[in-house]
Amino acid sequence: MSSGVVDDLITELTRLPGIGRKSAQRLAFFLMGMPDAEALSIAQAIIRLKDKARFCRNCFNITEDEVCSICDDTRRDTAQICVVEEPSNLIVIENTKVYKGLYHVLLGALSPIDGITPERLKINELIERVKKGGVEEVIIATNPNTKGETTAQYILQLLKPLGVKVSRIAYGLPIGGDIEFADEVTLSKSLQGRNQM
Amino acid sequence: MITKTEGIVLKTLKYGEADLIVTYLTPDRGLIRAFAKSSRKTKSRFGSSLEPLTHARIALWGKEQTSLSKITQADILNSFHPIRENYNDFVYVSKLAETLISFTPEAIPNIRLFAFFLNILNIIKDTDLQGSTSLHIISQIRLLKHLGFAPRLSSCGRCGGMSHDFYPDAGTTLCPSCVKDPRHQSKPFVKISNQAIHFYSHCIEWPIDKSNRLKPNQGTLAELSGILDRHVSFMLSKKLMTSKFIENRGTASKRQ
Ligand SMILES: [Zn+2]
Ligand SMILES: [Zn+2]
Repeated sequence: MSSGVVDDLITELTRLPGIGRKSAQRLAFFLMGMPDAEALSIAQAIIRLKDKARFCRNCFNITEDEVCSICDDTRRDTAQICVVEEPSNLIVIENTKVYKGLYHVLLGALSPIDGITPERLKINELIERVKKGGVEEVIIATNPNTKGETTAQYILQLLKPLGVKVSRIAYGLPIGGDIEFADEVTLSKSLQGRNQM
Repeated sequence: MITKTEGIVLKTLKYGEADLIVTYLTPDRGLIRAFAKSSRKTKSRFGSSLEPLTHARIALWGKEQTSLSKITQADILNSFHPIRENYNDFVYVSKLAETLISFTPEAIPNIRLFAFFLNILNIIKDTDLQGSTSLHIISQIRLLKHLGFAPRLSSCGRCGGMSHDFYPDAGTTLCPSCVKDPRHQSKPFVKISNQAIHFYSHCIEWPIDKSNRLKPNQGTLAELSGILDRHVSFMLSKKLMTSKFIENRGTASKRQ
């Protein structure tokens, strides 16, 4: 018997982020050993996802409708937009239950050396949202690394002329850590962003 | 086996759930790639030491021959954070980093290249915004020279005579009589201005700080930048990602 079908699956699995040939092989053999019903339910979940899930027309969060449940929620503060890189970032911010405004998911971060240009992200869509009016503050919550910072600065350039307040989430020390293990950049950033007590 | 060296982070690539693959320029091992476990977690002990352009003392675990060693420690010597915080500087330095990666074979020690790149980062970090565009172009020219891939623009590459016609496929300017060579006939060429040739020759000959005192106009810089891009694209048979990025950004800012 040819192992063509197994090879096909391995090749397909390597398309996933962080899955190399070896991991793909392990997953493929694991799937083979699984009861049919369980393995098929994984396949069906993928089919349903691709069939039903899409990006919200407003904010590019993942949704099954035209507009996501956050954009659709009338209790949310529409004067605030929190900008994040990925839908997964939105979920962790939602889990804090601190933020009551809306979101905008960029679906990535700028990276000159990887060729990730502004056109490949949902930056123009953000600018258009702000131009429509009603937005008082844009909170940029891209990752606290170089790509996130580059993206934040680029967006700031575009938002400045629109007269909207732009803020950046604070850089700081991770809670539960020791100052002596913090590196100079993190520490100087958290000194700059200190709060009055 | 643990080896200790120093390195400048040229590029990072997300790997797996929270790991990174870091491309370093080191003095004693040349261009290497190394793996940093869990480095994207907020409480990672690497902190910001793996961010692009960071110059750090690093400890690597693994056989020297294997392509991917593991980073066990990275202590920042210079973060070069001011460059990363300046959008334009960072974009152009990314172009230098990509140029370097594209033209440098992996794992060939090159102390001079390391010292040169470190010097460029120091100069750019210490330069105010006004002079930056010309500094970016000067750095690119010097880097190409260092890598042995600078185009010849000062005179005809075959006879040394006067010429203003740059032939990307020959990597040099060629005068009309030398173009009679059927190999170059009907090949595309670019006309170069006197100012661009003059500024370029100066950059090739003199160290960065000396060239940086010249004040070429924006047109000359844009012209040279275009020629260098064509040259690099031809040498690599592909356009640099960062060149595409810079062009694309131009259209993005025009749109608003
Ligand atoms: Zn939405
Ligand atoms: Zn000639």
